[in-house]
Amino acid sequence: MSDALLRTPFPERAGAALKDTFLQEALKIATTKFIDLRKESFAGFPQGEALRDRARAIKEATLQHLDVHLERLADNVERLGGHVHWATTAEEAREMVLRLCRDRGVRMAVKSKSMATEEIDLNEALEHAGVAPVETDLGEYIIQLAHEKPSHIIAPAIHKTKGQVAELFSRELRGEFPADPEILTAVARKALREKFLQADMGITGANFAVADTGTVVLVTNEGNGRMVTSLPRIHVALMGVEKVIPSMTDLVVFLAILARSATGQKLSSYTTLVRGPRRAGELEGPEEFHLILLDNGRSRQIASTLREALYCLRCGACLNVCPVYRQIGGHAYGYTYPGPIGILLTAMLKGNESVRELAHASSLCGACKDVCPVRIDIPRMLVELREHLDREKIAPWTERVVFKAFRRLLLSPTAFRLSATIGRWAQRPFVRNGRLRGLPLVFGRWTKTRDLRPVAARTFRERWKELR
Amino acid sequence: MTGRAEFIARIRREVSKTPGLFGASTAPRPADPATAAETIRRELAERWPEALERFRTEFERIAGVFHRVPDLAAVPAAIGAIARGYGAKSLVTWDPTALGFDAAPALTREGLDVVAARAGQEDEAARLRHRERAAQAQVGVTGADFVLAETGTLILLSGSGRPRSTSLLPDVHVAVFGRDRLLETLEQVGVMLEALHASPDRAMSGAMINFITGPSRTADIELTLTRGVHGPKEVHAVFVEAP
Repeated sequence: MSDALLRTPFPERAGAALKDTFLQEALKIATTKFIDLRKESFAGFPQGEALRDRARAIKEATLQHLDVHLERLADNVERLGGHVHWATTAEEAREMVLRLCRDRGVRMAVKSKSMATEEIDLNEALEHAGVAPVETDLGEYIIQLAHEKPSHIIAPAIHKTKGQVAELFSRELRGEFPADPEILTAVARKALREKFLQADMGITGANFAVADTGTVVLVTNEGNGRMVTSLPRIHVALMGVEKVIPSMTDLVVFLAILARSATGQKLSSYTTLVRGPRRAGELEGPEEFHLILLDNGRSRQIASTLREALYCLRCGACLNVCPVYRQIGGHAYGYTYPGPIGILLTAMLKGNESVRELAHASSLCGACKDVCPVRIDIPRMLVELREHLDREKIAPWTERVVFKAFRRLLLSPTAFRLSATIGRWAQRPFVRNGRLRGLPLVFGRWTKTRDLRPVAARTFRERWKELR
Repeated sequence: MTGRAEFIARIRREVSKTPGLFGASTAPRPADPATAAETIRRELAERWPEALERFRTEFERIAGVFHRVPDLAAVPAAIGAIARGYGAKSLVTWDPTALGFDAAPALTREGLDVVAARAGQEDEAARLRHRERAAQAQVGVTGADFVLAETGTLILLSGSGRPRSTSLLPDVHVAVFGRDRLLETLEQVGVMLEALHASPDRAMSGAMINFITGPSRTADIELTLTRGVHGPKEVHAVFVEAP
């Protein structure tokens, strides 16, 4: 994400999103639709709950022996004739792709949607090196033409209207295209079909990689994932190390819940299993296959606070249900991964300081945890993250002082009782229609955007005493 | 650049900090995949009519078009009807030996232009020529190695005479299959994939396996469902009754 955007404080970024009426409408429609589709899909699938537990257990068990599974994966990919590269940092991963492009004379690379390549800002690096990266997922293609960033993990262009897309295509692809999704899709099909047939390299992420068989698995709906892994002469797959799973038996457990969680489909249109470069006797497929295993801060968390975030399947379900995401959308978060899980992934990849504001962009309502296919306890980790920010003195001093004082109050019954009495007296000038509004000093930052309930006329403790 | 040893050592160091943090296990795997696969096949030999009905329901739900023909001899006519229905002029097919039938003579008589992939062909010139033909053809004809009832999914293995683009580049994909390809659940697919990878002749098949669940689709513009964005706009499944 651009530095300019990140220099704006989060409350301002969020404020701008709240004022964007189109964005508000688009977010409401999209997230509500995704929520309904998911709910419907799991309603008719009683075994879903057990499969979610199973999937979570597989992720836990795999991380426990991540070194073993990665070595097994690498051995098997190499046995199939593929090449494996180990990238500790985003920079190393970028350099590996660029070196391949240089060595093989690659001029154009077609890409299927990959959050990992977004994470390492691969497109900018490719452009800089004179290689044209072409995003081929329709949503990604739209935002690439518009020079924007994805706003949702699985629906990158939900913030754009069909009118805006028509305008964009008419300008960039030189034509007169009406604001009709079907026609616009056909326009993209034609433009991108040429690219698929011309490109020297296909770049993908990976939804899973099966250690036992050396198989990289891609889940897509449009078919672009199949194109980029079938037509160009080189295929490069970039994946975070946490995407490895042990076996084909494990794979089908994840397949059963992934599409249901993301789009409410039983399976996405295409699940593509890539087993190295094309084999003897095969007419099609890449002659070279490269797998780049990316760490970029992940391994640090295996035994640490954010461990569970490594289970994430990138389905986007937690975004749709999040009351904060539903209001502000993906861009306001400011980083590659938006939404509740995005805050944790950003902390993982960029360090805790990067989320000093975002760590509070959650009401801790727990809706994300409920819909997560692998039941990641996002609220717990957000609380722990806030605690870290406080301990590492990254949080602002005012916040630290207020919470320290609050802690004291909660620890002493006398102080707590006393504070209720004082509060009842002190709040008087600020209570309007049964709500606290326009508090002074540092407290005013809360009431500027939110109302607070006043201290009750008679507290629970006082009533309890009478009842006894 | 980080080497493998250094990379793995770092991961191992982190992993070693978590002894017994969780008592989780991976999914229970079949001890003997080949036998487990054989058992499923045997059971399906009895239960295939139910599996076929379920497949049909699920396949149609995702906009697939289901056809049923009595035997292989009736397949070319069914493909011809699909091609005419789409206004197609040219077709690409897998190698007749991979398909189990040769539709070319009958379809050619109907005035359709048919190009069949040939097993063993793999030189650069043949590759480019075939790709061009596949990109121009309106219909692609393949078999299906597994047909999954639970989700309405066709599973295709690439290989010699079985190009991956046949089910991808043309506007219409037609997959022809018999009862022995039917499976009921994803779990059974898991067993079949385990068996496939455990068998000694695995080198015989190609490098790609595709699960195809309906036509290519997107909802990236204002969540409007649109079919045929990159892959086929239509998917047809032709079931051959005769065993």
